[in-house]
Amino acid sequence: MPNRTLEVKDLSTHFFTQAGVVKAVNGVSFGVDSCKTLCIVGESGSGKTVAALSLMRLVPDPPGKIVAGSIMLGERDLRALSDAEMRRVRGNDIALIFQDPMTSLNPVVKVGKQVAESIVMHQGKDKAEALRMAIELLDRVGIPDAAARANQYPFEFSGGMRQRVMIAMAISCNPDVLIADEPTTALDVTIQAQIMDVIRDLQTTCNSCVIFITHDLAVVAEIADDVMVMYGGRTVEYGGVDEIFYNPHHPYTWGLLGSLPRLDCKTRLTPIAGQPPNLITLPRGCPFSMRCKYVRRECRDQWPELEIVGPDHGVNCWIPVDERRQLRAELDYITSVCVSDVIT
Amino acid sequence: MITYIVRRIFQLVIVLLGVSLITFLIMFAIPGDPAQLLAGKNATPERIAEISAQLGLDQPLYVQYFRFLERLLSGDLGESWALQVPVIDLIKEYAPYTIQLAVAAVLIELLGIPLGIYSAMRQYTFWDTALTTAALIIWGIPVFVLGVFMQWFFSLQIQQWTGIDVFPLTGAGDMMLGILPGSWESLRRLILPAVTLGLIEVAYISYMQRASMLEVIRADYVRTARAKGLSERQVIKRHAFKNAVIPVMTIAGIDLGVLMGGAILTETVFNRPGIGLMIYHAIGARDLPVVAGGVLFATVVFVVANLFVDIGYALVDPRIRLEA
Amino acid sequence: MPADGFEQPKRAEDVVTPLDGVHGTFLDGVPDDTGTAAIEGYVEAARKPEGFRAETWRRLKRNRLAIVGLCIIAVFAVLGIAEEIAYVTGIGSGEPGSGYLAPYDPNAVNYTLSPQGKGSPPSWSHPFGTDYLGRDILSRTLVATRISMLVGIIAVAIALTIGLILGPISGYYGGWLGAVIMRAADIFFAFPYILFVLLFMTVLGPGLWNVFIAIGVLGWATYARLNRGSVLSVKAMEFVEAARALGASDLRVIFRHVLPNTMAPIYVAVAMGIGGAIVTEAALSFLGIGIQPPDASWGKMIADYLSYMWAGSWWMVTFPSIFLTVTVFGFISFGNGLRDATDPKLKE
Repeated sequence: MPNRTLEVKDLSTHFFTQAGVVKAVNGVSFGVDSCKTLCIVGESGSGKTVAALSLMRLVPDPPGKIVAGSIMLGERDLRALSDAEMRRVRGNDIALIFQDPMTSLNPVVKVGKQVAESIVMHQGKDKAEALRMAIELLDRVGIPDAAARANQYPFEFSGGMRQRVMIAMAISCNPDVLIADEPTTALDVTIQAQIMDVIRDLQTTCNSCVIFITHDLAVVAEIADDVMVMYGGRTVEYGGVDEIFYNPHHPYTWGLLGSLPRLDCKTRLTPIAGQPPNLITLPRGCPFSMRCKYVRRECRDQWPELEIVGPDHGVNCWIPVDERRQLRAELDYITSVCVSDVIT
Repeated sequence: MITYIVRRIFQLVIVLLGVSLITFLIMFAIPGDPAQLLAGKNATPERIAEISAQLGLDQPLYVQYFRFLERLLSGDLGESWALQVPVIDLIKEYAPYTIQLAVAAVLIELLGIPLGIYSAMRQYTFWDTALTTAALIIWGIPVFVLGVFMQWFFSLQIQQWTGIDVFPLTGAGDMMLGILPGSWESLRRLILPAVTLGLIEVAYISYMQRASMLEVIRADYVRTARAKGLSERQVIKRHAFKNAVIPVMTIAGIDLGVLMGGAILTETVFNRPGIGLMIYHAIGARDLPVVAGGVLFATVVFVVANLFVDIGYALVDPRIRLEA
Repeated sequence: MPADGFEQPKRAEDVVTPLDGVHGTFLDGVPDDTGTAAIEGYVEAARKPEGFRAETWRRLKRNRLAIVGLCIIAVFAVLGIAEEIAYVTGIGSGEPGSGYLAPYDPNAVNYTLSPQGKGSPPSWSHPFGTDYLGRDILSRTLVATRISMLVGIIAVAIALTIGLILGPISGYYGGWLGAVIMRAADIFFAFPYILFVLLFMTVLGPGLWNVFIAIGVLGWATYARLNRGSVLSVKAMEFVEAARALGASDLRVIFRHVLPNTMAPIYVAVAMGIGGAIVTEAALSFLGIGIQPPDASWGKMIADYLSYMWAGSWWMVTFPSIFLTVTVFGFISFGNGLRDATDPKLKE
């Protein structure tokens, strides 16, 4: 019986700015089982990063605020913790890998010391011991000559190497939850593959569950167990990775899949028309309604309730199930016979 | 790192050569005959020609320049027209007072660093807005204006109210140990000018420090530190502080360089001996060698100070130190 | 890489952290990672894409101190222009070349208003008091505005012109010539500015035109360097343009946004430069080597009246000092505000 490491219910995080309230995350719920990987998918601005930051309570307080929801890490309610207790959780029980490795490391502090910092703080080891452990970690994430490299400064590392350092830093205290916020977006494709290897390796050793945030479906296909699709601060669909890829139910998900180039057969890249939503002036209903090809009146006015369409597969959409299946059938790129592995 | 230093020294030599050339050109190559200047308004043409020859002004320009450079490199800055003493001696006599003032002012201005950090940490609060506005206003006050009013209030008014001459209006005190004030007399006369200079600089430094700190606090690596679970205080101390302060230290270093060249306005207002006052008197007497000598001295000091600041920066920033 | 197919809004690398001066910008505190950086992108995209000037003005408006500075500048600019017009046309005195726009003739000596030669303190008829010759200080202060504004504008104009010539030459041709010009700029930067100007003035002698020349000619280096920078960016653009075919919309972006941004530091430098020139002239006059009578400037007034301060006549020095300080503050505030408003790193 898989246990739920992390359970998030109805999380809402808003930013109260001079121009209005930015509803970055709006009633999002998800959970991750131990040793599983959840991919949160969506374009920039869908709220995925803010959701991740909310889990760590790292949203800067003016002007951001977690206004609703519960975040349960095992038995603990993270929202109820004091600041000091939450600090003990950060880096220790939940760790975060940021997107841009070039700027995420302190340029004037040696790399080994930066990795060892969490160890010293959370595990109470002395500096020498922590440094030794840091070197081991650097080795583990694939940095050659780790002992010498630990004594170097970040500028002496390439982008891919720096991201490995970030990963080493994140796993240093064996966190229960490892959040990776688009860790490969800022890197070359070849380096991306290397980083994905490192992460997959972590998955197999299974010390934590992974939340992987990305906008790249190819990456999702590679490593996800479960997928959550976000748009405009809300979850529009979630499910197992196979379900999402082979049985997608939400028009936005169709759009995402449609814009994946395929090697096995000729289909046109079908972009989703329109612009990302303005998170201050969201419609009361579905945020995607402004761009959805199949929109109907209810979509703008009311947020559709959760509809279970398969095992552990839910969607929020006003289009009735049968109609959806029909519409989907017309999209050849989803149902076409040349379904071969996008997943390699 | 060594390469860096060598390169900088090479640049310095070129710049100093250029400085000497420009100084020479200003003195001898622009309309405004120096011989005329020296001879005075009512001199006869013969007198002017005599002086001209004396100064070597009848030679072609490049010969003059080489002679000029020659003399400079041997430490000869010419002789004061008004006082008939070698300029270099005057400089040697007045420099310690100026250095004393410069160091004191810079020490005071370093207070701007904690002020700036404090302001940055409390952004949007009343104190931040108040301090920043105050900094901008004070920064804008011309130093001689501030000096006049400081004097008026602290020297004159206090004396009038209390009868005690706490901050005397002139001089610098006679006893000095090297560049340290050697007596209470010295100290009393140092305080007001130093505070005047320092106050304006504190305003500037705190503004810059605040900006630097704000930028660093927003940096990605600071966010990483927070994500590791460090307390805000630890984040500041271990990650933000160093990165935020380094640029401001370089400003302070440059200030030191500028001030050592003679804070002419302050010294004039407070009638305090120093390179600045020396130049001021020379201006009044149209004593060109002294003015030029003083300017050259100040420039050399400034350029060398800049070099030290750059080297200091290189020492601190591993990216330069390790010459990647 | 990302093959979603639809248009990506700006990413974190493009839209950077909001930061501010004294004003509060719109999205302060929102972290600059992808999610919320894109929020900024949305809000901005929701507005019509505006040009550089409109955007700068919008950001500037938020900075209260900068607006105060701008108002101050406006007031003194108008005053200066008015005085100049009066001077030239002879309003008030009846003779072109010595006119003024003030309650009294600034040069009218009146010993009765100066008992004991110490002038008379502020009163209803003479709000700023009178000086040791009985001249009305308010009038003198107003008239002195003309000189200060004149110096600020003309000196900076000279420096800017030289910089506008040498800078682009250095940037465009590069190579030996470019390097020499930049070295020359380095050399000019090496001198402490006011001493440099002093040296120049000692040789040239005092006088208004000499002040213009000294401050202007010696200040070219800043503008040359900035101009070179903008020329270099344009060169980079052209190179890029040759290397790939840019769509028309990208070109428009470049001309509407990138290019004006490279000019931005120059505007800032001009604002600060005028303030600096005014202070420098005041300092020169204070030291006795600036403008000469009958011209009056605030610095000269302060120098002339200084000794009277010790005798108790505080008002003589005070009012010109206030005018000077306020003017300089105006330029600095505005310059700072302009810098913040055009700094791409501070984009909201």
